[in-house]
Amino acid sequence: MSNDMQTNSGSPYFKKSHLKGLLIAPYLVFLILPLVQVIYLSFQSTLPRETIAAGDFTWINYLNIFESPTLTSAILNSMTYVGLNIVITLPLALPAAYAFSRFSFTGDKHLFLSFIACLITPPVVLVLPVFQLFASFDLINTTLSIALAHCLFNLPISIWVLESFISAVPRELDETAFIDGYSLPRFFIQILIPMITPGLAVAAFFCFMFSWIEVVFARILTVTNGKPISMAIYSLFGFRTDFGLIMAMTVLSLIPGLLLIYFVRNHIAKGVSVAARSSK
Amino acid sequence: MGKVADNKAWFLVLPAVLMLTIVGVIPLITVFNSSFFDIFTEQSRFWVGTEWYIEILRSSRFAASFGRSLLFSAIILMIEIPLGIAIALALPKKGIAVPISLVVVSLPLLVPWNIIPIIWTGFLHTESGFLGQFLAGLGVDFNWKFNPVHTWSALILMDVWHWTSLVVLLCYSSLTTITGPYYQAAAIDGASRWQVFRYIELPKLNRVLMMAFLLRFMDSFMIYTEAFRFNAGGPHNATMFLAVDLGEDIAAFNYGPAAARSVIYFVLILTVTWAFNTALTQKSQKFTPVSG
Repeated sequence: MSNDMQTNSGSPYFKKSHLKGLLIAPYLVFLILPLVQVIYLSFQSTLPRETIAAGDFTWINYLNIFESPTLTSAILNSMTYVGLNIVITLPLALPAAYAFSRFSFTGDKHLFLSFIACLITPPVVLVLPVFQLFASFDLINTTLSIALAHCLFNLPISIWVLESFISAVPRELDETAFIDGYSLPRFFIQILIPMITPGLAVAAFFCFMFSWIEVVFARILTVTNGKPISMAIYSLFGFRTDFGLIMAMTVLSLIPGLLLIYFVRNHIAKGVSVAARSSK
Repeated sequence: MGKVADNKAWFLVLPAVLMLTIVGVIPLITVFNSSFFDIFTEQSRFWVGTEWYIEILRSSRFAASFGRSLLFSAIILMIEIPLGIAIALALPKKGIAVPISLVVVSLPLLVPWNIIPIIWTGFLHTESGFLGQFLAGLGVDFNWKFNPVHTWSALILMDVWHWTSLVVLLCYSSLTTITGPYYQAAAIDGASRWQVFRYIELPKLNRVLMMAFLLRFMDSFMIYTEAFRFNAGGPHNATMFLAVDLGEDIAAFNYGPAAARSVIYFVLILTVTWAFNTALTQKSQKFTPVSG
């Protein structure tokens, strides 16, 4: 990738970087400004307290979060179902993506389109029957139920991403491996997965993102227990709303995603690009 | 690269098919089935045929919500897709600026949907919000609670803030695959910046743009959480979108009408997606869902 970029930047079309900075800087400021306000408020005491005047700088909002079992368990719940979702989605998506990439089989195009149809089905349309279905299996109020429901959109997205990555791997590699006596599972684990690690990272990032921010399923499937961050924040609204606390909670809800972006930052650029390349 | 014809590949897709059947197909069939009944409880339900459909499709309320959602989606797509492409083209391609700008661009995508309206109502607050204070300083009486035009602008601004990044990330990663020789050849031929975009960069973006379009269309057409939490469909139903209507039916336990509404929405989305896909495929002959 770095090679591509250097040649890119050497081209006459990538020299006017100052001009581009002028274009990009206002946009980045526009993105960051609402969040700056959130961070600013999260360090303020927004309720009248005995020891701290309203508006003063304070850590109290963050301390309050860690003293509240509801809020800390909400953070844990969110991380659990997002993690579970990734663990369920990727092993199901990988063989399917491999099949779409390497084989033509009866109904493959229709099947792919129905996967896309699942991806574009609005959650709000399916909320009631999914609730009834999971209720009959006693899954309501569990993080597993949210993780399963989120497969509706995460599984098609992961298949789409992984299919492109696998298509970028030369077929000769499979054939050589099978001649060498590799079984299909062993080929997956020892050869294919190491080659498409960036693809798995990108798929995991998409799963994380869409699962972390989804609220329709997450709300309806947790009636009394297993509440995610988004719902815990909403329960903070009341007679005397502590905005500082809400803002602190919002800041904390951003941190896992930021860590993930930091770890997969190189793969994101490289990753989705392989997807684009293989489409040609 | 040719593909091997082998129906045993079905065994590889079977686990994914089973999962999507459970969380997607079965619930969808249930919804379809319920839409023909008047449901009081699980046990007492009465066949009403297509009554709900006729009632919904004939109501002026549905037509109005449909128009609003369509307009909202059209505005969102017209702003976010070109803006996303422009930002992706302008993002730095090397150095320390790359990770920094990628992280900043991704930030809004990581905020849970129902927190977005909280952030923005705070941001627009005339006394404490940065943007609210700024607008008040300019002498603009920005009243998103009661002025429909202002509510719409705020919702659109909020959505642009939240989702343009998705288009940017998809386009950016696709653009980084274009290697130097393409640009050098274009420079030798004396191609203008526009020609480089039109004949080199845009064809590359075809597939990711399809994805961006699908995701953005579905989410903006079915906007619920943001619109409902922001102003609950107000003022005077000015932001009563399709999904907000549906949310009210569900909240009122009108299962039959809610199911009929869901089926109608699903068909609407499939139709628009299919139409767009067909138009794009015919125009470019490039997008095939299964690459090969």
